[in-house]
Amino acid sequence: MTYAKSITDTILDVRDLHTHFFTDTGIVKAVNGVSFELRRGERMAIVGESGSGKSAMAMSLIRLLAHPGRVVEGEVWLEGQNLGSMTEKDLNGIRGSAVGTIFQDPMSSLDPVMRVSDQMIPPIARHLRLKPKEAREMAVGWLDKVGIPDAARRIDAYPFEMSGGMRQRVMIAMALSCNPRLIIADEPTTALDVTIQAQIVELLRRLTSETGTAMLFITHDLGLVSRFARTVAVMYAGRIVEIGPTASVFRKPRHPYTQSLLRTIPRISGESRERLLQIPGFPPDMKRPVVGCAFKDRCPAAHARCLEETPEAQRRGPDHAAACFLPNGLDDAPVAVAAVAHRTADEERPWRSLPRQDVLEINNLTRHFVGQSLLPWVKPPTVRAVNGVSLRVRRGETLGIVGESGCGKSTIARMLLGLDEPTSGEIFIQGTGQMVFQDPSSSFNPKMKVADIIEEPLVVQKRGTREERAGKVRSLILQVGLDPSYLDRFPNQLSGGQRQRVAVARALALNPSVVVADEPTSALDVSVRAQIVNLLCDLKEELGVSFVFISHDLSTVRYVSDWIAVMYLGEVVEYGPAEQVFQTPAHPYTRALLDAVPVLDPEAEAEREIRVISGELPSPMNIPPGCAFASRCPKVTPLCRDEKPALVQRRPQRQEACHHAG
Amino acid sequence: MTDAMSLGRSTSGEADAPLPRPTGGPAIAQRSAAPAAARSVPAFRGLRAVLANRKARIALMILVPIRVLTALLPWLPLQAPLQTNLRAMMKPPSFTFPFGTDRMGRDVLSRTLEGVKVSLFVGFSVAFISLVFGIVLGTVSGFFGKVVDRAIMTVVDIFLAFPSLLLAIGLVSIVGTGLVPVIMAIALADIPRFIRLQRSLVLGLRSRAYIDAARTVRASQWWLLSRHVVPNTIASLLVAASIAAANAILVEASLSFLGLGIMPPEPSLGNLIRDGQTYLEQAWWISTLPGVVILAIAISLHFLSDGIREVLDPRSRK
Amino acid sequence: MLAFVLKKFAQLFVTTLGVVTLVFFTLRLIPGDAASAMAGDSLSGEALERLREQMGLTQPLMTQYATYLKSLLVLDFGQTITTGLSVYDLMKSALPITLLIALSTIVITVVAAIPLGTLAAFMAHKGRKGLDNLITGTAMVLDLMPSFWTGLVFLLFFSLTLRWFPASGDVDMSDPFSVLHRLALPVLVLAVTQIATMARITRTAVLEVLGEDYIRTARSLGWSELRVLFRHALKNAALPIVTVIGLSFGSLLNGTVIVEFIFNIPGIGSLLVNGINSRDYQMVQNLIIFYALIFVTINFATDIIYRKLDPRVTF
Repeated sequence: MTYAKSITDTILDVRDLHTHFFTDTGIVKAVNGVSFELRRGERMAIVGESGSGKSAMAMSLIRLLAHPGRVVEGEVWLEGQNLGSMTEKDLNGIRGSAVGTIFQDPMSSLDPVMRVSDQMIPPIARHLRLKPKEAREMAVGWLDKVGIPDAARRIDAYPFEMSGGMRQRVMIAMALSCNPRLIIADEPTTALDVTIQAQIVELLRRLTSETGTAMLFITHDLGLVSRFARTVAVMYAGRIVEIGPTASVFRKPRHPYTQSLLRTIPRISGESRERLLQIPGFPPDMKRPVVGCAFKDRCPAAHARCLEETPEAQRRGPDHAAACFLPNGLDDAPVAVAAVAHRTADEERPWRSLPRQDVLEINNLTRHFVGQSLLPWVKPPTVRAVNGVSLRVRRGETLGIVGESGCGKSTIARMLLGLDEPTSGEIFIQGTGQMVFQDPSSSFNPKMKVADIIEEPLVVQKRGTREERAGKVRSLILQVGLDPSYLDRFPNQLSGGQRQRVAVARALALNPSVVVADEPTSALDVSVRAQIVNLLCDLKEELGVSFVFISHDLSTVRYVSDWIAVMYLGEVVEYGPAEQVFQTPAHPYTRALLDAVPVLDPEAEAEREIRVISGELPSPMNIPPGCAFASRCPKVTPLCRDEKPALVQRRPQRQEACHHAG
Repeated sequence: MTDAMSLGRSTSGEADAPLPRPTGGPAIAQRSAAPAAARSVPAFRGLRAVLANRKARIALMILVPIRVLTALLPWLPLQAPLQTNLRAMMKPPSFTFPFGTDRMGRDVLSRTLEGVKVSLFVGFSVAFISLVFGIVLGTVSGFFGKVVDRAIMTVVDIFLAFPSLLLAIGLVSIVGTGLVPVIMAIALADIPRFIRLQRSLVLGLRSRAYIDAARTVRASQWWLLSRHVVPNTIASLLVAASIAAANAILVEASLSFLGLGIMPPEPSLGNLIRDGQTYLEQAWWISTLPGVVILAIAISLHFLSDGIREVLDPRSRK
Repeated sequence: MLAFVLKKFAQLFVTTLGVVTLVFFTLRLIPGDAASAMAGDSLSGEALERLREQMGLTQPLMTQYATYLKSLLVLDFGQTITTGLSVYDLMKSALPITLLIALSTIVITVVAAIPLGTLAAFMAHKGRKGLDNLITGTAMVLDLMPSFWTGLVFLLFFSLTLRWFPASGDVDMSDPFSVLHRLALPVLVLAVTQIATMARITRTAVLEVLGEDYIRTARSLGWSELRVLFRHALKNAALPIVTVIGLSFGSLLNGTVIVEFIFNIPGIGSLLVNGINSRDYQMVQNLIIFYALIFVTINFATDIIYRKLDPRVTF
């Protein structure tokens, strides 16, 4: 497609957009001169880590910024109209009509005290000048199109009566209902489980293709970009550092940031087990003026010119541009960027001479939560969170537990550490178990210094003298790669990644045999995630600690685990060596999970046959009698509905609970 | 928007790069240690932060001079609070009598300052008593739950069924008037509120990951409470306590005004105003000026509370 | 919903019983006993003994308690000791005045405070601090003015200086003009504090809602800021506001005692203060219980209304 032709097709033209947040403590320059064009019917992804200004940029387009944010410079042309110079009243005629918006969190984006009909019908009636009755018919039609069953009745439901996936469908229906030419979707699937995420992405792809609506898709998930977008713009520190056709950018990224980013993510396909690349450092403070290239402090290829001059976007191919002085980014670096180290498994470690016995054994574990009944004669609801799980972990090995929210994986973690009592079943741990928690912001007592946090287990267990403990704390913090000067800090003076390092140091204080890590990386940005994953892998190698790694992020789980247990509704449905399970999944649910995760290769994605499983997780209060997965399984037969399949071994090392496997 | 905000947070501390971890050996020199404030004791750190807050400073700029004046009262060039002066009865405010005089020629300003002394004593005693009982009973109720919780909360609910002033009135009618009974009566009305507050704070903290983390190393209940739970509730309780102090001052004044609190001749701001009520038409200053002082104290205590809260949670500054 | 009402009702019952019991046993804790406390030094030993008998203080404690519960159930509040009048009759004539003061204050408060608070929140949300600071600052000062002092200042200004309203006199409930004339000032005094409190609460509630995601969604559908404010923000903010109206009824009841005292109004607050001054424990005990009952009943009602307003709660 030539440039001349693209101009006639252009629906959105953004020129030199600047958005600032005028906070009490200074001006945050969130968007610093963003320019791009979007063609009719094109799907463009805007990617970046938190703080890159991608959401602020998207909200600036239709001036939906909350105080103290303001667009200070730039033009936004939508079909020949400059939205920047429009009055608020005229803009209200564009919002919801020519431009539809979908937000991140479906749980909070719909008004909780209004029926869906009351939120959906009036905008249709207003923008399309329809009578209420016609508008209602139209709304029902759209709900039907986005896959809400029994739409004519469900339209009068309140949002709280719907699941997250259903609410996001309602949001999509609302955004599309007035025939917009442009959809702005701000992380529309981030808050959803992988299988639901796949459903929503498919839906958005199908509907925008059918209606020819252009779409701006803001995300931090590079996999989704490769599945979904034709064009991708990578944002860093409020600027677009690389933009181009998705295939071209993924095949040959030109900007060092894009190049590093793509290498920090473990692949879900293939067999590579190389060490993940880490991007050192942090994004710049947007309150301070950025001199030179914003990425220079983290860029291995940075040279003198980068310190003074800000690189402008330069053409790198058809429609492909990058803002770097080096045409090939890192590949042109004067000093060769350190070769990617392979994980070394064969090095001599003292722990390897120990017998490889089981350090953790779980037998037939169940946990039922009995709710509260308001009236004494009504039977209280019971949630069967964990339903007969048996697992083993050997010394120096990592067991990954995957599954969607509500599958019981976190409940197991809590029981392993004695934070929750099993309803029945047994847990045996050789030595002690320790925990690394998910949320780095609440996992430390804000009143304690890092030194006290790491030392606490030793003090509680009355280990050693004061001096011995101080020495141990010092060696622990060095072990997780932090300088001992951090010992004097308080948790709020640390970044998310540093906090997780401290959490790991603390977990190692008592020389545990097993460390349970519950979603230790899910609150972290991609570049920091790689640092923590590498750290955990190294510690396993060095110390022979076993890990139970719980996550919904399949590619990370695969990268760190030796064994995988896939859970569905409180049960293990498949178990086996990580590589095998990922390459030849036996259970339909495992297959569905893997299908739902996009790979980092747009061409492979295009060819991939994606079987999106329909439906949602049944309520754990009301588990069906037969196979728990029967309600969503593509292979379901009457047998599955009647008889519960047991977890059986059909091949060496592999177990699955399915009537139709093997 | 969320982007910009999280950015503001993540980069606000001086964040050093975590070291890359080649298996060689870490210990690459890092930029020098944390800022000086971080090294000091937490309590000291908190005090310094509160002093840096504008609202808290305004509050202290009103409260401290008032307290100093009351302490210096015997040395001030004022007529003593209880001294009558038959040659200067019901004189309007003037240079010698800045707040005027009452019907027995007593100096309203020195009586007001004497009353302020009582008021502040009542305010802080009530706040302190409520705080202590609130922490103990609220922590027990929130942390141990079950039967103890139910018992405590039922009693709390019964006490909360009385509007606070009315409960104090009822209690004073039984235990009698005077300083100590008034303090007891007001505190008894406040304690249930503090129990509730502390209980809800404890319930909020109970599910924090750091409590779980301490549990996994088999920390005792005492350890959890003294290290993790109570220290993290103190700041919110102080916010509530300074409001409770203001409230206690207002309630004491109301009781004394109704003739049920501190009885003359011992001056209290409430009975000063009550004294003046009869002569409102002839001598407006007797009742109105002490009221202005009560208002100033109450406003400062609320400012102090706002200040503490802003230091605690910078987002609350709206 | 029914289950919820039943549960709340059970709580109401327990609390009420607790209130009644607490008052009964506290009175028995008085050093000496109620009779001697009441009589002071005025009665001889023999007369005191008679008074004791008359008050039923010679019976075993639990018998006294049972008698007391039974008489409360049939609304037999006994007679005042000093004047021998029926407490029930006294309360019956005083109650309408106090209720009228309280209810008109609530109406005025809601009408004035909610728009003011909403306006302040809207301005704060837009970052226009001037008007917000003016409303918030004034509200804070008014909120903290002790109501007896406000009462005196108003009395001084409106009655004694401007002579618009009388400072004392009878309240003839059958003559609307006299009622208005007499009660306007006390209601105004109470309303000033109440409006200030409620405006601050409304501001906080609306400001919080304005930051919610669904407000942005409504704006993204093309609705104007004002429509979003009134259709979405206020509707959601109504929930916390209703709760606060219930709770602030307590401070309103406190306030009625004070204004009735200042303006010489023969409501139940005046009965209470007179009762204490004449050491009439029979009277005081019943009035305190009565105030508590009004308060818990109002909170019971707001709990129910809250659940009605919030569709998310399903039972």
